[in-house]
Amino acid sequence: MNDFISASLVINIVLGAILGGCSYLIYVERRLAAFIQDRVGPNRTGPAGLFQPIADGIKLFIKEDVIPGHVNLFLFILGPSIAVFTTMLAYAVVPFGPPDQIQFTLMGMNLDFRFIIAPQIDIGMVFIFAVGSLAVYGIILGGWASNNKYSMLGSLRASAQVISYEIPLGMSIVGLGILTGSLNLERLVLHQAEQGFWGWNFWAQPVACLIFFVAALAEANRLPFDLSECEQELVGGFHTEYSSMKFALYFLAEYTHVILVSLLTTLLFFGGWQFPLIAEVDSAYTGSALVKVGVLLSKAFCVIILIMFLRWTLPRFRFDQLMGLAWKVLIPLGTANVVMVMTVKHFELPSWWMFPLSLGLVAVVGVLSVPNSKTRYGALGMAGGRTRIAADGVLPPGLGKRIPM
Amino acid sequence: MIDLVAHLLAFAVGTVVFLSAPLLIGYLVRPSKPGAEKASIYECGEEAIGSSNVQFDLRFYVIALLFVVFEVEVVFFFPWAVIFGTTMQLADTRLSDESRIALSEHLLSEPAGSLDLERSISAASALQLGWLGFADLAVFFGVLLLGFAYLWKRGDLEWVRSANPERNLHSESLAKPYPSTVALGESI
Repeated sequence: MNDFISASLVINIVLGAILGGCSYLIYVERRLAAFIQDRVGPNRTGPAGLFQPIADGIKLFIKEDVIPGHVNLFLFILGPSIAVFTTMLAYAVVPFGPPDQIQFTLMGMNLDFRFIIAPQIDIGMVFIFAVGSLAVYGIILGGWASNNKYSMLGSLRASAQVISYEIPLGMSIVGLGILTGSLNLERLVLHQAEQGFWGWNFWAQPVACLIFFVAALAEANRLPFDLSECEQELVGGFHTEYSSMKFALYFLAEYTHVILVSLLTTLLFFGGWQFPLIAEVDSAYTGSALVKVGVLLSKAFCVIILIMFLRWTLPRFRFDQLMGLAWKVLIPLGTANVVMVMTVKHFELPSWWMFPLSLGLVAVVGVLSVPNSKTRYGALGMAGGRTRIAADGVLPPGLGKRIPM
Repeated sequence: MIDLVAHLLAFAVGTVVFLSAPLLIGYLVRPSKPGAEKASIYECGEEAIGSSNVQFDLRFYVIALLFVVFEVEVVFFFPWAVIFGTTMQLADTRLSDESRIALSEHLLSEPAGSLDLERSISAASALQLGWLGFADLAVFFGVLLLGFAYLWKRGDLEWVRSANPERNLHSESLAKPYPSTVALGESI
């Protein structure tokens, strides 16, 4: 019984934090976008616009939910629900604090509090990928059930993109599996924390970190990878026909995914709750567990801010560049990275070798991607960024000119 | 194990409740004024022509096929990586006895405390196992990369393709300014 109460306590905290976090992230993003574009942003509702998320929530509740007559109703409702549900489910294995168990008494009951919903799952990362892959159903079902051409095209693009980037995402974790000997997220973090600041996986696996971050952004359908809903071409993409709360669910899924991505990046590559001096493995002062939670969340918040900056700084990819990046750059790079880690570990070379070797890999890919001035294609077959698709002559003359950027 | 499943189930139920609550509350408070225009397909004010269930481009199908191959490959990598990583830790002669016993128990799926130093995996045999894993993956990678190179050469990874299959095989022809072939656009 006590176990059940402490479990539901953790579950409620996690769900509440995600939902609250999502609504305030939208506010943060709007303020940040305004700052970058030299605007003011929402600042009327409450002090500095802090009540804006609440107002938005109320608006979404009382808006009419238009369900067009031509949709497949069951799948139409199932789409957004799956999108949020699968993303949320991944949080079951994500630790949001140190592996300590905190014991306290609440209303006469002795409760064990852990900073994770399902502790010590050895297949942690595989579980996240498995559940994450299901999220593509939310997009496909939503787009297909809408019975709208924009939605259909958006969902096709989104699913092609999501499944392409799933592969480099998985590849980037294999190196960590070799280094740690486990895919349990708690052990992955502990392994880094035991070695201190220079033991963070980022130092051994910078390429994997980059691949993971890029692929995870693409999975989340965030700009610069939001081809599925690019407003100029497809109106809203797969959620064109959605309104009111179901529309909000898709956005909830996106922001939940952003939080998940930043938490995972922090946990896998930046030492999780470990921070020099204040949050080490053996720091046992009063409240050290809370400090560790704070460290983890602050690191994750930095990653979220980075994601938002990327969104408002970079232009959107073109679809052929998007697919080329996944298949011709990230997958070979991820494979090379795995081979590199494997070789270094097998011949028992010192770990610091991996850092220069990783930089070497990036340099090789960079050189191979430089477009040839004659064909405008790099050795990897990626089109140069400043030419249109028509540069290889598949569109009629006139359309194939260089466009000024 | 039951405990873990119960945790996951409780979380799934909690998520469903948290998600259906707003949908239900919204259903109770929001207005509902359906109309013929609202029920029509949104196409920026134009009347929609034909069904949306159109034939889509074959390239999406190819991507899905490739995905299955490579995703299965990645799934094979995960257990391999864990075991190879543990083996390589065991192959280190500087490993302390306690960690050696713990890692051996982990690798052999024995309950904790069931092995002693005698029966745990020695550095020499771990290195042998490591060689096996190394060779295994080298062969696996070799076969896989051969297929990948074939796909690349065949042009299955190119998103922009012309209707003439010959052109896709010779990248130098990409330099030709404006041949008469037509692009396979997204067929709507």
